[in-house]
Order: sequence, then structure tokens, then C-alpha cells
Amino acid sequence: MRIGEIIETRSTGFVAESYQLHRPPALGSLVKVKVDGHREIYAVVSYGETGGIEPGRRPVRWSTDEVFDEAIYEEHPELRRTLRTEFTALSVGSGEGEEARQGLPSEPPPMHYSVYLCQSEEVLRFTEELYYLRLLLTGEGPVPKEQLVVTHLREVYRARGNDEEWLSRAAREIARLLKRDYDRLMTVLLGIEPRDGN
Amino acid sequence: MKRKRLGVVTEGTFEAGLTVRLDPGCSTEDLRIGSFVVVEGRSHRFFCTIADMRLQATDPGLLADPPRNASPFVTRALAGISSYATVQVKPHLMLDISKGAGEETPPEPVRTIPMHFAQLYEASGLDFATVFGAEGGMNFAMGTPLTMELPICLRLDRFVERSNGVFGQTGTGKSFLARLLLAGIIKSKAAVNLVFDMHNEYAFGAQTEDGGWVKGLRDLFGPQVLVYSLDEEWGARRNVDVTLKVGLNQMELGDVLLLAEELELSPTAVTTAELVYARFGRDWMKRLVALDSGDSEALKDFCDLTGAQSESLKALQRRVKRVAGREYVRDEVAFSAIDEMVAALDKGQHVVLVFGRHDTPLDYMLVANIVARRVRRLYQEKVNRYERTRDEADKPQPLLITLEEAHKFLSPQVSRQTIFGTIARELRKFYVTLMVIDQRPSGIDPEVISQLGTRVTGKLTDQRDIDSVFTGVGGRSFLRGALESLNTRQEILILGHAVPMPIVLRTRQYDEGFYRAMGARERRRDALKDIADLYGD
Repeated sequence: MRIGEIIETRSTGFVAESYQLHRPPALGSLVKVKVDGHREIYAVVSYGETGGIEPGRRPVRWSTDEVFDEAIYEEHPELRRTLRTEFTALSVGSGEGEEARQGLPSEPPPMHYSVYLCQSEEVLRFTEELYYLRLLLTGEGPVPKEQLVVTHLREVYRARGNDEEWLSRAAREIARLLKRDYDRLMTVLLGIEPRDGN
Repeated sequence: MKRKRLGVVTEGTFEAGLTVRLDPGCSTEDLRIGSFVVVEGRSHRFFCTIADMRLQATDPGLLADPPRNASPFVTRALAGISSYATVQVKPHLMLDISKGAGEETPPEPVRTIPMHFAQLYEASGLDFATVFGAEGGMNFAMGTPLTMELPICLRLDRFVERSNGVFGQTGTGKSFLARLLLAGIIKSKAAVNLVFDMHNEYAFGAQTEDGGWVKGLRDLFGPQVLVYSLDEEWGARRNVDVTLKVGLNQMELGDVLLLAEELELSPTAVTTAELVYARFGRDWMKRLVALDSGDSEALKDFCDLTGAQSESLKALQRRVKRVAGREYVRDEVAFSAIDEMVAALDKGQHVVLVFGRHDTPLDYMLVANIVARRVRRLYQEKVNRYERTRDEADKPQPLLITLEEAHKFLSPQVSRQTIFGTIARELRKFYVTLMVIDQRPSGIDPEVISQLGTRVTGKLTDQRDIDSVFTGVGGRSFLRGALESLNTRQEILILGHAVPMPIVLRTRQYDEGFYRAMGARERRRDALKDIADLYGD
């Protein structure tokens, strides 16, 4: 499913504009960019934001006592043209066909290319190995990295059909990566710990 | 053969041993201090023991704020990564594994250490067999490792080559161990034995601490084992071969000086004894005891002859009369009984000298010293003859003397006066070695301890005793942990000459299976009843 178009690109990741206002892909979800028809670059959504299209001009308040929330947009359909939703993703691997390789891709994804949301089976295949978690923990961005990892792992855990064995494996990998920082480690572990009914 | 991997080597010095980080799945609770493990290096296999364990954390924050009430999920993630364990292992032997089949060399003393990330494994049965050899011949199974059912052998020929020690605090089964070793030595013919059996435990069946009855050496080996008794009455009720008497003529100055504490001899009395001995030599005890101290004339003559003072002479006489008054002491006894004992030893028979009711330290020290001195003198003559003739027929049978309460003979104060001190020091030169049995090794002269070839020890708790057992042993801090962690019953640490490396064992059972292994004659079924009849209920 195409969800956006790249509007900024670099070796470590890219920024894309979402096709739907207010509907960026979930934080931590796995997305991909198809390059040259047969190659894919995988990335994890690390940030999302909605703002005005004109830089430097702050949006103003539109709501009244009667008109608020979704009704504002029905009242003022032009608003949908002046606002846009962007999301940032961190590149975590590339692949050709069935084969995925974790790590930074050799070149940044091309500008204006489409971004796709990965399907469950792709998520399953890509997350079988956990090397890419290092890239998430060291990537740049305004979201604290351990929170990004928490949402990502929960996202994947769900996508994998609540695979506890995988989650334990991931937890141990995180423990290994954060072995010198107990507080951040516990933030992740307590965040991903499976709870009843989750 | 699949061995369980325990961890990888991360640090180490040749001096202090290797630090191994345990694998996440491996718990310290699965390991035991002193247990036998194997490190696979690139070209060598290292046979090691676990010396210490340590819990570690990668981040001090974890220690300051441990996860309380954490779910199993969190603890599982932390275990083995953020919180982990290391063990210290001490390599003892190494085996060259780079050689092809047919060129294998036996394990040699360790002279190097493996590099980083060499892997630590649990020892397999094959590893044990490589190091300790298979049972049979001179290889005598002493027990099994704590974690495995596999006989671990001691080399009896090496065991009897040097003096040995069997230690352990009361209740750890020293006499049981000694019985085990003696049976092995008799069976394998590694040496002939002379046992000073102070507490009547070795010759005939004895009651164990948990109330059962076990067979004595005589029961197991029949006429191969001669029983000498010091106690006529005790001996009469049993199948004793010889009742031993001791003559005043056999007592030397040293015998009495050895008893200085028992007899409460003052320094003056010691000097007086030296004077009397200097004057009368071999007859000194007889003369001293025979002196009628009420007869002032005779006393004066005696004083003139010896140069002793009459009062101290009287005091000395009172004391030595305690010796002369013992039931088994006669004025004049020929050495022939002891000489026959040595002749029997020559023929490959073993001798247990039972003390019967005469089991006070005084009896024990006096008689053991006299007998052992005579035996050693005869052995010395034999060795001299053998050195002259170089005739195999003249070669003396190696003799192992078993001595209980060894600290009484080998304390720093008296070890130079007793024949046992001499035997312990001169090693195997005269084919006589000692097996000293004691619960307080710290009471034994360190010089004697350092000469001990093999040490078999049960649990010891007193620090001085532990230090003492390890006198003259390298890497003792590693062994200390193993010794302190021994169970009170049936667990022993063996180190020294007769084993390739120190090892902690669960001792084998001294039961019907053992009797059969020793080739015991089939006994009537109601042997227990016989024993009960014999000893009363």
C-alpha cells in the first residue's frame, strides 16, 4: 500500500509526505521504498508531524463553540490544501526479492519515490534477524530512541501474532545493546513486557 | 560425545587461572566449586577445576536499583547479559590435541593458558578417563565425581611411594577412608601394611557412625592379614594370631621422652632419665623400676652411680612405674615377636596391631614407637643388604605404616624424637612410608606435612588445619574453596602424588559390592548375627 512520497532523502533515512492528512504510518512501523523495480530499501518510521505548507507561517485557530474537531474541516475544506502530514523514517536495510540485508543501504532512496507500508509477511521476514535494532538505537530524531524501539517492538510483536519467543529474543538483544545503560534498558523492557490481553 | 558448554574464557593469567564468563543459559547453581571442567584451546585441551564463582553486572545502576518484582520476562532478558556470572577455573593439566590418532601423548602439567574465547565445557566421562585412567591394576577407584557416576582412580603404587595423610574433622569418615585405602593396597599388592589400630577398627568388623556394621580387613582378606593384639583378654575372645608383649628392655630413652606429656615429666625428670639411660643403657628401665626407693642405701648407691638427685630420681621412678605397670609390659621380652612380624611382612602378609582395652594415648604411643622402631631397623638392615647384593630376592617389600592420632607422634615438639618423624622425613629410602590419620593436621610438624606425597582430606573447618593440609602445595587458594565446601560425609578432596590433579570425590561405598570387588570370600548369610553374638547387642 502506497502511503507517501519522499520529499527529503539522505543516507540514514528520509522524510516523506503522507498521502492522507493526519494519517502518517504508525510510529515504529516498517516501511519500504521500491528502487529500480527490483530493489527495496527498508526503514522504520521514527517521527511524524502535521503542519502548514508555508514555512514560517503558523496555523491559526479555526474552532468555534459549535464547530470543532472534524467539523472544522467540513466547514473549511480548503484547510486540507494548506496543511500536510510528514513522517520521517530511519533506513534499516535493503533487499532484493526474498533476500533482505540489515544495515544502511548503499545509497539514499530517490527523491519523490513512493513509500509503501510493509505487509505482515514482509515484517516477519525482515525482523527474523535483530541486527537492525542497533540502527534504531543510534539513529537521530526528536523521539527518544528507547521509546521508538518500544513502539517498534510492540508493533512487530502484534504483526507477528504475539510471538513471545521473538519478543524475548528481541529483549535479550536490547539488553545486550544497552548493557551499559541500565535505566534506558529498563525503559525498553518495561515498555515491551507483554501484559495480559495485549 | 556431546559435552555441555558452560562459557568462554575472557581473562586469565597463568598465575591466577582463567576467568570464564558463563553462557546466559548456564546457572552458577549448576556448578560446584572444585568440580572438574575442560577448556578447549586451539591446540590443547586444559583440564581444570572450578575455583571460584562471581556474580557481575555490566552497569552499577543495576546493583544500586535491582529490578524488584520484575516479571520473568524482564529477569530473563537481564539474566546472562546485564547481570551475569563468571567462574575462576584453575588449569592443572593439558593435553595436546593437535596430534593425529596414534600419536596422542598423556596429559602433562600445564605450562600455558588458552587464548580469549576458548570454550569451557563440563567434563565428560572420557575426560575423566583420560586424566585418571581406568580402574584396575594399581588404579584403585576411590569414588565418583560429585556430578557423575564414574569411578575415579588413585594410583596405589604412587600412593605408597611416599608418606601420605588422611585428614578430616571428626565424623568425616577418616577410618572409613583408611580402610578403603588399605583394602585397595592389600588387593593390589602395592605394599604390605602395618596398621596401629588404636580404636580396634581395622582388623574385625566395626560399627559405623550410622549404626551399620562393616567388615574389617581380616574379614575381607582372611589369613593375608595377621592380627596382633596387645590385650590378652580381648584377643582371647577373637581370632587373634599373636598377643604382643613389650619388655622394659625394649624401651629407650626416646620412648619415655615421647610420653613426657602423658607422664607429666618435669624438665628435671627428663634430665634424670637421661642420666639413668646414660649409665645403664638398655637396662635402664629395668634398673629404675627395680630400685627399692625405700631402701636409702640402695637409693644412695643408685644416685652415686648415675649422678642423679635422690628426690628427682624418686619422682621419675613414680612416673615410669605407670609404664612398667601396664598389663602387657614384662621385664624382659625378646624382640622375636616383632622380628616374626617383619618376617610375615616379608612374605607379603599384612599386620594389624590391635590395642584392645589398652587404648590410652600412653599405650598407643609407647607401643607404636617401640614396634615401629624395631621394624624400621630391620628394614634398614634389609635395604643395606639389598644395596650390597643387588639381588631382587633381597629387595624389601615396600611397607606402609598406618598411624592414627598422628599429631601425638609428629607434633613439632616430639617429631624429632619419634621414629615416625624420621620415617616421614626420609621418604621412601628405606621402603617404609607412613599413612598418617589425623583430625588436627595443624598439630603436625609442618616439615612432616610438607613431605607428604598424597593428601586425602574430608571436611576441615579450622583455618589452621586447612592451611596445614595445603603446606607445600601450589595454588592453595583454589583448593581452599573446594575443601571448605565439602560435605561432612562421604566427600573428599584428594591431591598430590597419587592423582594427576586435585579432585573432589564422593567416596565409594564400603559395602557388599566393595567386598566383592576386593575378592572377599563368600560369607555365611548370618554374618551379621555372628557379629552381634560376638560383640553383644
